[in-house]
Amino acid sequence: MGLDIAVLLSIGRHPASGRSRRAENDARALELALNLGGRIHAIHAGDPDEPALRDYLGMGLETLSVLRQPAECDVVPALVRHLTLIRPTLILTGSAAEQGPGSGMLPYLLARQLDLPLLPATAGLALNGGLLDALQALPRGRRRQLRADLPAVVTVDRAAPAARQSAYAQARRGAIDLIDMAAGPIIPADAREVAARPRPRRLKVMSAATAAERLRAATEMQAGRGKLMVDPPADEAARAILDYLVSEGILIGR
Amino acid sequence: MSGDKRPRIERRRVVSPPGTRPRRDPRAERQPLAAASAAQEPSTTGRIRRDPRAARGPAKPPAAMDQPAPKPAAQTIVVDDPACLILAVPDFEDGRLSSHDRDLLGAARMLADAGKGAVVALMPNAGKEDIATAGADRAIAADMSGYAPETKAALVLACIEALQPRHILFCETPAGGGDVGRRVAAALGEIPAPHVMRLSAGEAASRGNGGRSDYLQPPPRLLFVAAETADPPGEARREARALPVPKVAAVDLRIEDRGIAATDPNAVPLTEADFIVSAGNGVTDWPGFHEVAAALGAAEGGSRVVCDTGLLPRERQVGASGSLVEPRCYLAFGIAGAPQHLQGILRCERVLAVNTDLHAEMVKRADLAIIADAQSVMPALARLARDRRRGP
Ligand SMILES: Cc1cc2nc3c(=O)[nH]c(=O)nc-3n(C[C@H](O)[C@H](O)[C@H](O)COP(=O)(O)OP(=O)(O)OC[C@H]3O[C@@H](n4cnc5c(N)ncnc54)[C@H](O)[C@@H]3O)c2cc1C
Ligand SMILES: Nc1ncnc2c1ncn2[C@@H]1O[C@H](COP(=O)(O)O)[C@@H](O)[C@H]1O
Repeated sequence: MGLDIAVLLSIGRHPASGRSRRAENDARALELALNLGGRIHAIHAGDPDEPALRDYLGMGLETLSVLRQPAECDVVPALVRHLTLIRPTLILTGSAAEQGPGSGMLPYLLARQLDLPLLPATAGLALNGGLLDALQALPRGRRRQLRADLPAVVTVDRAAPAARQSAYAQARRGAIDLIDMAAGPIIPADAREVAARPRPRRLKVMSAATAAERLRAATEMQAGRGKLMVDPPADEAARAILDYLVSEGILIGR
Repeated sequence: MSGDKRPRIERRRVVSPPGTRPRRDPRAERQPLAAASAAQEPSTTGRIRRDPRAARGPAKPPAAMDQPAPKPAAQTIVVDDPACLILAVPDFEDGRLSSHDRDLLGAARMLADAGKGAVVALMPNAGKEDIATAGADRAIAADMSGYAPETKAALVLACIEALQPRHILFCETPAGGGDVGRRVAAALGEIPAPHVMRLSAGEAASRGNGGRSDYLQPPPRLLFVAAETADPPGEARREARALPVPKVAAVDLRIEDRGIAATDPNAVPLTEADFIVSAGNGVTDWPGFHEVAAALGAAEGGSRVVCDTGLLPRERQVGASGSLVEPRCYLAFGIAGAPQHLQGILRCERVLAVNTDLHAEMVKRADLAIIADAQSVMPALARLARDRRRGP
């Protein structure tokens, strides 16, 4: 079975300079696709003249298909139509766009409309016959192993391997394959956009319902509320620790 | 300080040693608090005022920890006729409420209080947590074992159908609520507020545009809330009245959970470690320390003293001048718990301490403290952990 992998690529933006560039997680998705092998359909819906598309070509693509869409309009209908035509075995996306709201809804809307399973937060992929094995990134470096039938939609997490450098010569050589499509509906901008306000990290959690409780929490050293064992035999101590770790789910997967 | 000359204390009895504060049982304390609230008088502003000293109760005799006081009914806050419902969907990873989950319940609480409503929490029926002290007026306990986002999304959809909540809140976690919430949003065809960083009854601020912008709007029905957006609810007991589990539409299960993969705990930076076993000056058996950390599959950490002496590499130092760590669990062998060290573990969810000194600060901070020689506990624990891995 020839493997057809669609990779959905959006335009990113450098957080410091504000310049357009490839989107980081979308590039990671392309990196996973290049490592799986098979036929790659790199797809962007938007402006074919966007220079940042060359960053993706520079990763080793011959062509990148652009479904021409005006800015500010919903790209889901165009993508659904195109994907229905090419029927890929696997659809890879990033997790949230770097420009605009970046709700991360696009892969979910596609999966729903194409009626495909969706594997979220993926850090690694392997094919196992007709099945897909994915490693899901959990907080604190943990990984969950998932398996699903193909075809499937997979969203790629920042824990996936970093994308390869974009080579300038390859970026020039690659071709943009323009596909004209009817424009999707305009997305109403209901929300007011303001510059992000930094939020300080919370240092101390005070869970108190009343002022008196808060005062007490603030002025008193946190007293141990836990269990105490004094001079137990070593085996009993070890057993208590292990039981605690097991009951708290700390040892799952270890 | 060494514990040798201190009076020995019977296991699990809590006695206040001379010169230290009594260890307190928060549950046992509710009793005097409830009594005190009877004496409350409304102030001129109509708000109930409390005498903090009375609320704190008299100098208490030590309470035995394993016999919590019976729950005083007077303390339970009941919302009988809510004007609206707020459905909170905590992650309940491994059946536990994370600090993010508690923040989520705090956000739900805030929205409910603003709308004279009630918080409904969706929880696994095998849950080990007391949701009544986590801000829930109602609870739906359903079968949610293992990783099953498709099932969870179907369950949430059924709850929305049955309850018609004003808002539905999910933790914005990529493999947890952020995923389930987006499945629900796609099924409903609704536009959610993602990455919510600030929330009030009138406005939700969604972080977007690559982190450069906040998008402000009145809170829509579906809210994906970041950690620390709201403070966790106070510990005041709520009713957590059980609601029936709604009938869930049949789901096509297409994702198979094949378990958590084994990973090298020391390959991730200490700040991202999930479980840390840490050594201080009280550790002398270093092969034994490495062995127990490996047997438990934990990352290694240490106090400044052991990193200064080169017994562990510098990047393993925990504390104010080392790493501020936030594992789910921190197991400290022979660490005194100097303020600079405790600063580094402020955000740890669970702390275990093995120390020869009953009065060590680390022991006070611990959820489970064992007064014993680290050199004898480490090999015993390593052996048990290896046996467990090999299976029964
Ligand atoms: C500016 C500044 C910054 C600092 N930053 C940090 C920092 O980032 N991190 C940090 O850790 N420290 C830091 N410190 C140092 C800190 O003040 C303490 O000196 C240090 O944490 C103590 O390390 P310790 O608990 O391992 O050693 P000790 O204070 O020597 O304590 C050893 C503990 O082990 C116990 N013990 C002894 N024998 C045994 C045994 N056989 N079995 C079990 N327990 C036993 C003892 O009862 C004692 O509690 C800083 C200090 C300063 C001034
Ligand atoms: N215009 C687009 N063209 C192709 N793929 C897109 C486009 N917009 C978003 N995507 C994909 O969908 C993911 C999530 O985007 P979003 O839902 O807009 O936050 C991105 O990481 C991309 O993989």
